[in-house]
Amino acid sequence: LCRGGLAERLYRLQNRERSAISFWRHQCISDAKTASDKSGVLTVKILEMFEECTIQVAICQQLEQSPAMLSSEDVVINAGEPILKVLFARETAAHLKSRPQDVIHIYPPWQKLLLRNADVPVIMHTYFSQKVLLSDHSETREKSYGLTKMLIRKNITSLAQTFSLDDPDDELHQESSDNQVSCAPQIHNNCDSKQHPLARSAVNDSLLEMVESQGAVGWREAQVRVVIQRVYCLPAREGYRSHVQGNKPLSAIPIINSDPPNVRLCLLVQDAYGMFSEVQLQSLTFADDIEQYCRRWEGKFCCLAGMKILQRTTRGRALGLFSLIDSLWPPVVPVKVAGQSQASEMMTTNLPPPSFCYILTAQSGEIHVEVDEEEQISNLYQPPAVHGLKEILQINGCNERCSFWAQVLYLRLQTKHSVPINQREILLFVTDSTLQNVVHMIPKVVAVSVAASCVLSTEITEALSVASRLVFFKDVLWGNGRIICVERTVLLLQKPLLYSAAGADLSELTGPVRLDELDSTTQANSICAVKGTVVGVNESTAFSWPTCDRCGNGKLELCPQDRGLLYCSQCSEVVISPVLKMQLEVFLSCPSRSQSTVKVKVWHEISFGLFVLINMLLSLQSYEVQSVLGKEVGLLNCYVHSVTSHPNCVALEEIVLL
Amino acid sequence: MDSTLPAVAEELLKEIKKAFQETSHVPDDLLLGLKFIFGPSAVPALDLVDQRSVTRVVSPSGRTAYQVLGSSGKLYTCYSSCHFCTCPAFGFAVLQKSESLLCKHILAVYLSQAVGACQELTVSEEQLTSILLAEEEDEG
Repeated sequence: LCRGGLAERLYRLQNRERSAISFWRHQCISDAKTASDKSGVLTVKILEMFEECTIQVAICQQLEQSPAMLSSEDVVINAGEPILKVLFARETAAHLKSRPQDVIHIYPPWQKLLLRNADVPVIMHTYFSQKVLLSDHSETREKSYGLTKMLIRKNITSLAQTFSLDDPDDELHQESSDNQVSCAPQIHNNCDSKQHPLARSAVNDSLLEMVESQGAVGWREAQVRVVIQRVYCLPAREGYRSHVQGNKPLSAIPIINSDPPNVRLCLLVQDAYGMFSEVQLQSLTFADDIEQYCRRWEGKFCCLAGMKILQRTTRGRALGLFSLIDSLWPPVVPVKVAGQSQASEMMTTNLPPPSFCYILTAQSGEIHVEVDEEEQISNLYQPPAVHGLKEILQINGCNERCSFWAQVLYLRLQTKHSVPINQREILLFVTDSTLQNVVHMIPKVVAVSVAASCVLSTEITEALSVASRLVFFKDVLWGNGRIICVERTVLLLQKPLLYSAAGADLSELTGPVRLDELDSTTQANSICAVKGTVVGVNESTAFSWPTCDRCGNGKLELCPQDRGLLYCSQCSEVVISPVLKMQLEVFLSCPSRSQSTVKVKVWHEISFGLFVLINMLLSLQSYEVQSVLGKEVGLLNCYVHSVTSHPNCVALEEIVLL
Repeated sequence: MDSTLPAVAEELLKEIKKAFQETSHVPDDLLLGLKFIFGPSAVPALDLVDQRSVTRVVSPSGRTAYQVLGSSGKLYTCYSSCHFCTCPAFGFAVLQKSESLLCKHILAVYLSQAVGACQELTVSEEQLTSILLAEEEDEG
């Protein structure tokens, strides 16, 4: 076998699997535990069996999980007991010796496959299956099994049926990045051009009713009208994971390197009864048009048709989703109450917040979401409530969603080299007029961490790295004294059209931004301003290096042709006049924090105040430390790396604000 | 009841093609799926793909056929319009006993298509005709 080839890989995988299977079988015999309380186990009852090319195909009914089972996240709605086609490999079938009416427990990892033109899902990779013995007549069963085996019909497949590997239309991977937002063709035109029967069928206004009457898969003809409360992007992995019960989805496309992540456009919708649902739409390669989608769709009505239920999730399992739902509760207008007649009472007070939520997705093929862009904003819509940062810092709760408008001063990427760049946490330092025009005891600048689950559009990431920007942070999470951007948080460069500013002062910042001065309350991973006198120099940290004057590349190489010259591999050219960068660590005595040793890493090009100092120290190669001591250092903007109490030391790094 | 396995096999191969097109990599899931569906043919078929043993032969009229260089050095012909291969395993396991959907050579043809490992060869009409008729001479 070719080393490193596909065959060798499969060979190794299959060996591993074989050991796993035999190990598992031994364990089953020795354990003799009932399966039903393990999660991920599929319980099926065989209705009919036949054989195709040594694979046993069993048409089964999926049995409801026993209530004792702490089920996995995904609970299938058993509206009419779904039918499954379960495939068993020859060896598994021989081991199971199953017959119709037998109940089988299928342990993970099994895989589910949804065929394009068929309704019945196929379950594969069923090596870890066990029959549930309902009675004790094992001997008679063995005998009758032999008879049954002879009666199992063998389906002969036609050789004329070849396979086509081409995919004429696959909505998951359509080139959506080229389609411009202006006509959002994925969503509108599909409905038009395919003359979909959904056109004038009855429009419902209750999500719950739709789910209960139409079932988990395929809402055939009905549609439901809902209000779009929020539009956001979720990292696509999440969408894939919840797509399949049990374990690994069949086609989990691994996101290995630094390619931009796949994201899914999602809507949080609410119906006339106040019930929420998250609708996952198409996959995008970039979250680029999110700002446009938000502007055009939030607050509008839309009709959902042809949905299928990915998941019914509960408060305990989806904290992020429910923190967003809670921020939209209670509804701003009275909602209908189930069971009451049309025109009668609508309640809004004393309604308990929702405890469950359906996550829907479009059935394969077409996306049936028609947004009424021309129509007015619905009264049910709750625009984000904007607060000043000062107010947010004083909120008492935990896991509260809030929105604000702030200026980003500085950006720092958390450097964990094992994590790919697009998944690293980003720390943003922000401020607004409520913090700057400040009172004692409140910081002037606040750190906002952006988790990898928060999808940022390319526009935002570019804007943030270039200059100080005003950014609208929508639905960030506040808790435990920290502001975090997580999934369902959206960062926008423009204020939304509608927002309620609950008395916040959203005026622009006038005058230069001020940072808190270093003092006894300064914490690590914050930014501050420092002023003091040089009391020492850490000579071992002093070094200088040349950088490319064109692109700033700090890793220049020796030119292969002429070892006396420097070469920049990023520009692919010789660097004639490199810019010398110098770095040095100095110790300061700061009156504002007199008890601590303050160590500051300073850089040449930025620190004009210290330039002369460094020049003397480094470029001349001979210096007197004495001549440097006692020099006053003006207000430096610094990032605090660490603060330790024993020894009492603060390590800073000089930074440039955006 | 209509047969299930061909649709499942086709979907699996489609997934492999998609995954490969997007990431130049076939995930473990799908390899194990091949093993599940095609059984003992899976590893030998992949080996044929690794070795680039599959050639797509085309003639000016547009007729195609596949030639697979077997492990014994023998060249087998697989048809493109239906599942057929000139190897003895196909005659036995697929035609006679209906134990497999495909032989390892036909599976290798599909997999080579999915991962773009097919060699291409253009021949004249006469040459293609002789390839398609060749097994009559070889057998015997």
